[in-house]
Parts: sequence; C-alpha cells; structure tokens
Amino acid sequence: MNRFARALPDLARVAFAGVVTYRAEMAIWILATTLPLVMLAVWDAVVAEGPVAGFDGSGVARYFFATLIVRQLTGVWLLWELSQEIRSGSLSIKLLRPQNPLLYHALQMLLALPLRLVVLAPILVVFAALRPELVWWASPAQWGLFLVTTALAWWITFGVQALIGMVSFWADKADGLFGVWFTFWMLASGYMIPFAFLPEVARDALFWLPFRATLALPIEVWTGTLPVADAGPDVAVQLVWSLGLALAVAAMWRRGLARYGAFGA
Amino acid sequence: MLVVGALARLSVSTALAYRADVAFDLGSGVLKALGRVAPLFAIFGAAEVVGGWTFDGAMAVMGLFLVVMGIQGAFVEPNLGAAVEGIRSGTLDLWLMLPVDAQLLVSARRVAPGALVDLPVGVAMVAMSAVAMGSGVGDVLAATWLLACGTAALYGVWWLAICTSFVFVRVDNLRFLIWSIADGGRWPSDVFHPAARVLLTWVVPILVATSWPAAALAGDWTLGTLGAGGVVAVLFLGGSRWVWLRSLASYTSAGG
Repeated sequence: MNRFARALPDLARVAFAGVVTYRAEMAIWILATTLPLVMLAVWDAVVAEGPVAGFDGSGVARYFFATLIVRQLTGVWLLWELSQEIRSGSLSIKLLRPQNPLLYHALQMLLALPLRLVVLAPILVVFAALRPELVWWASPAQWGLFLVTTALAWWITFGVQALIGMVSFWADKADGLFGVWFTFWMLASGYMIPFAFLPEVARDALFWLPFRATLALPIEVWTGTLPVADAGPDVAVQLVWSLGLALAVAAMWRRGLARYGAFGA
Repeated sequence: MLVVGALARLSVSTALAYRADVAFDLGSGVLKALGRVAPLFAIFGAAEVVGGWTFDGAMAVMGLFLVVMGIQGAFVEPNLGAAVEGIRSGTLDLWLMLPVDAQLLVSARRVAPGALVDLPVGVAMVAMSAVAMGSGVGDVLAATWLLACGTAALYGVWWLAICTSFVFVRVDNLRFLIWSIADGGRWPSDVFHPAARVLLTWVVPILVATSWPAAALAGDWTLGTLGAGGVVAVLFLGGSRWVWLRSLASYTSAGG
C-alpha cells in the first residue's frame, strides 16, 4: 500500500497528461451527449397539457438538467480502452507496471471529470438562462447523499464496463455485448424515461436491477423527487451491486489474465 | 487425409463462427430497434397528444427514422469509413485513376447488412401508422418524395464530412457528432425549440426525412413543402459535390 501511495502522484500526472492530449476529442464526445436535451424537449411537450405523475415543466427541466450533469460525472470509457488493449496485446506492457492497469484507467477517467465539467459549463449556462425556473438549491443532506450515490454510480458503470470489456479475453464480442447492455440501460436507467413515468410493474422490477443505481438514483436524490429519508432501500441495492461488481471484476480479472498468459502474449 | 479433415473442421468452425456472429448481430439489431421504439409507448402512455402529434403520427416519425438509419447504416456509413481511410492512407490516388467517378466509386464500395434490420421494422411501423391515419395515395407519394429528398440531403451531409478529412486527420468524431444530432430526428419536429428545428432542417436535415414525410402521411403537405424538400436535397447534394470537386482540385495526392 505504501508503494502504491508513493506512485500515486506520478500515476496521476501521467493519466492527466493522457486526458489533456485528447481534449478536443473529449470535448466533441461531451457535446455529442445531447440526448438529455432532446428528451427534455419531448417530455416538456408531454407535460405541456398538465402535470403528469407530479412532474410539471420545471420538474422535467430540473430532471434532465441533472441528467446532463450526472451523465458527465459518471462518464466512463473503459470498455473501448480495455477491449482494445486486450485484443491488440498492448495490455502486456501495462502489466509490467507494478500497479493494476485497471487502476490507471480509473485514475484517468476520474481526472477527466474537471475537464468534462468545464466543457459542459457553457451548455448549462445557456440552459439556465433559457429556463431560469430550473435553478434550485439542494439541502446539505441532499448534497451529501447525491455525492455518495454519484460515486457509487460511477463505480457501477466502471465495473460493468470492466466486466464486459474483459469478455475480450475470451471472445471478440465485447462491443456488441455492450451495445445490448446500453440499449437496456437507456430505457431502464432513467436516462430517457424518468422512473415516475414508468408503469408500476416496470418500476418494481427495475428496483432490483443495476440500471437505476447508475443514474436515476443520484438524479432523484439531487432534484428532491426522492426524499433523503426514503432513499434507504435504493442506496442499499446500490451498495449490494457495487460490492458484487467489485468481487466479480476481481475474479474475472484473475481468470482473464490466466487465459491471456496462456495465449502466448 | 489428415489435412483434408483439418481443413474441413476449420471451414466448418469458421462458418459456425460467422453464423454465430450474424445471429448475434441480427438479435442485437432487433433489440436495438425495439429499444428505440419503447420510449414512444412510455410517452404516449402519459399524454394523448404530444406537441400536436398523435401516437400514429409520432410512430410514423419513429418508423421513418429507423428507415433512414437503416439506409445510412447499411449503405452510407461503412463507405464513409472506407473513404476516410482511403484519403488518409493514399488509396484514394488509385480510385482517382480509375475511369469511373471517384465519388460514385467510394460511395458504393461496401454494405453492412447488419444495419438493415432497422429497415423492415421501420417500414412496418410506417405502414401501420399510415393505415391508422387513413393516408391516401397522394399522401403516400408526397411522403415518399420527401423521404427521398431527406435521405439524399443526409447523404450530402455525410459526404461533406468526408471532404473535411482532406484537411483534418480525425473525422470519426465529426461523424459521431452528426449521428448524435441526427438522433433528434426520431421525435416529431414540433417538440423542439425553433432554433433546434432550424439546425435539424438546414444543418443536419433529418427532419426532412422523418417529420416532414410523417406529416405528409397525415395529409399535411402542400406543393410548397414538396418544393422545400427538393431545395434542401439539391442544396446538400450540389454543395457536397462542389466541395468534393474543390477538395480534389487542391488535393496533392498522398505523396505531395
């Protein structure tokens, strides 16, 4: 652990340099995340006739404003990096370092967060100017739980991408598998459809699945549609998934590496 | 005998691998198409009319979007990748020497059948909503014309994106940006802010291929709309052709 602590500043510097190198690319990727704005327009038209499920125009605006931010805060692109490294063999070089390559990726993706927020800022300002009613202030308890649930959401997103990326140790289908995951994720995470608008049956089923924990939970805590006092069960489910994914990633990483070594690489 | 056996095993396993691949692509393609349609039900579960559009109208928009994406994904997008690679690697020089128009050659090199899954799903959705809305023959013809105009104009946009690769090395990101903007076209135009509508008509003309024909199916079209569709198509096709020829004129080949 001591050795890791000493290596951390240098690792972080290298990782951040990597982020800065691709800043233009990253800016485009962030700007291309327009779906929350499109969904805002669509749901805005839905509630124009009158509030639906307790959401009026400003409720919808707040929800998707928060979606835009949480999506950036939980932005992870591990899948493409990892499956590319495994398939091309460039993972071998990373394995020579004393730290786990996944750790390096995690650092890089965390260090990209400030940059992501800087690129997002102008959009948020324009958005807030167009829709002043969406500027709200959360209570300290909301902020606290928002930060915790966002951190766990980030970890779950990272863990899922690590798992699917590691499929590349065995098969060449990681991208396709992720496409399937992403299709479900768009529908079930609250990204396109806020949970309040889902039928009761779907909401009950999705409560137990990992999708909600990656996005909707922090959003609902932050915007206040889920009171902090009632968030216990949701946070518990999120914790269970976080832990389960940590174990699964560790186990699959060991088996994947064994397979990778046997490969002659 | 051993060799023959090994070869046979190899070819069978290769075929099996491809079959599994194709099955996987088809399966995930169907899933993705369904995933695109599902939000429509959630939205119209919450309201009868959204931005002045009924469920049938919005369904037609979504179906047309799938048709456009199927065409783009199967016929245009793979060629774009090849063209960009060709410009970067210098293969373009070879294409230019052939006695066929290079734009035509580059535009028709590859097909990605996996993306075609969207097409039948989209056509079925459009047909269902056209029946539900009681579209006449004239409406269908008008919608077809607008769809053709919009698709042609979108091809022009992709082609313009290709032309930028004479100047910039990485245009993958630009293509990605255009895809993500075009994604707005799966919703009826009236939900958008007027500025966004201008963007989706005159910069990335997806609405011409989705919302306009859908409105036409509901009988909401005039000769003016048909003319406007033609103008957009001519502008983008002509513009991209002009930029392509200009780019070629100043292109000094891979060696220069």
